[in-house]
Amino acid sequence: MAFLLAAMLLLAAASGLAVVLTRDPRRQVFALAGNGLVLTLLFLVLQAPDVALSELAVGTAATPLLFLAALAAVRINRKRDAADTGGPE
Amino acid sequence: MSPKLRPALLALAALAILPGFWRVACALPGFGSPVSPYGQAVNALLPEMRRVSNMVSAINFDVRGFDTIGEEFMLLAAVAGTVLLLRGGRGEDRADAGGRIGGRAIVPRADAVVLICRICGPFTFIFGVYVALHAMATPGGGFQGGVVIASSLLLIYLGEGYGRWRQLVREPVLDAVEGAGALLFVAAGLLPVFLGLRFLTNVLPFGTAKDMLSGGLMIVENAGVTLAVAGGFGTVLLEFMEETRATTSEVADPDDGRTGDRA
Repeated sequence: MAFLLAAMLLLAAASGLAVVLTRDPRRQVFALAGNGLVLTLLFLVLQAPDVALSELAVGTAATPLLFLAALAAVRINRKRDAADTGGPE
Repeated sequence: MSPKLRPALLALAALAILPGFWRVACALPGFGSPVSPYGQAVNALLPEMRRVSNMVSAINFDVRGFDTIGEEFMLLAAVAGTVLLLRGGRGEDRADAGGRIGGRAIVPRADAVVLICRICGPFTFIFGVYVALHAMATPGGGFQGGVVIASSLLLIYLGEGYGRWRQLVREPVLDAVEGAGALLFVAAGLLPVFLGLRFLTNVLPFGTAKDMLSGGLMIVENAGVTLAVAGGFGTVLLEFMEETRATTSEVADPDDGRTGDRA
């Protein structure tokens, strides 16, 4: 059990570091989702299944989707603005 | 600020904070140490007082029910603000036309994705309902069940595509579900007031422990939270997905400050 917990904590640190070190926003979203999944498992190991459920739904599904949708909307808008003003992409 | 000054400021701030941080860190209870006195009191008293086996639900809906009402309306306000910010003429026509970026081809979904989502989506929905219904007996509750239900809507989107998804998941329904949830919670709080007791007093019969229908008034409050969270998260997901759609060329959007929107 202690080994499992230590492994999960290390994994949480590593996946959190991956989120910070990823520079491309789209890849960062997936790193964030991965970090959410690791945190879900960590909460499960710490015997907090209700917190794990919240983290799984909010941190791994809802938040990354909102970020992805926002990134897509930004890129679509930028494309249209460039087309409107006749400027380069 | 010059780049040289920044590390110096960081070091200065760290020097100022570290002693206090160290003292607080040393005064914390050890990792995995026994439950706090508050938790021990709750574990000792609440199973007999409220006949529920999930202490987290008992705290959320009974001991600190008023806090949960505040959180509920915080969510309602946040969702309302998001909807206000993102209103506009995009995606509301339920057209299955995604926004395009620079002529990039839109890759159709793989059959495997459709199959997996059609199998997992309904089961995830039912699991969310299960988690919400058994809030008083097993870990989880209204919030967890609500977000699981909302994420099942996402799986349905992945399986069916935007147009069919909008036909299945109607915005007025989500709005009504969210509002009804908040209303149900407040009504549950006002019921004891009409009986001459204090707000949120648990007046309904408690039932038997480890039963789905235990906890009295908590069942009603939990149902309200489930509806509000499922409706609220569903609305936010829908509003954000609308932003990724192509604008309809015939619907000019005067509020957007842009002239001649092109699809």
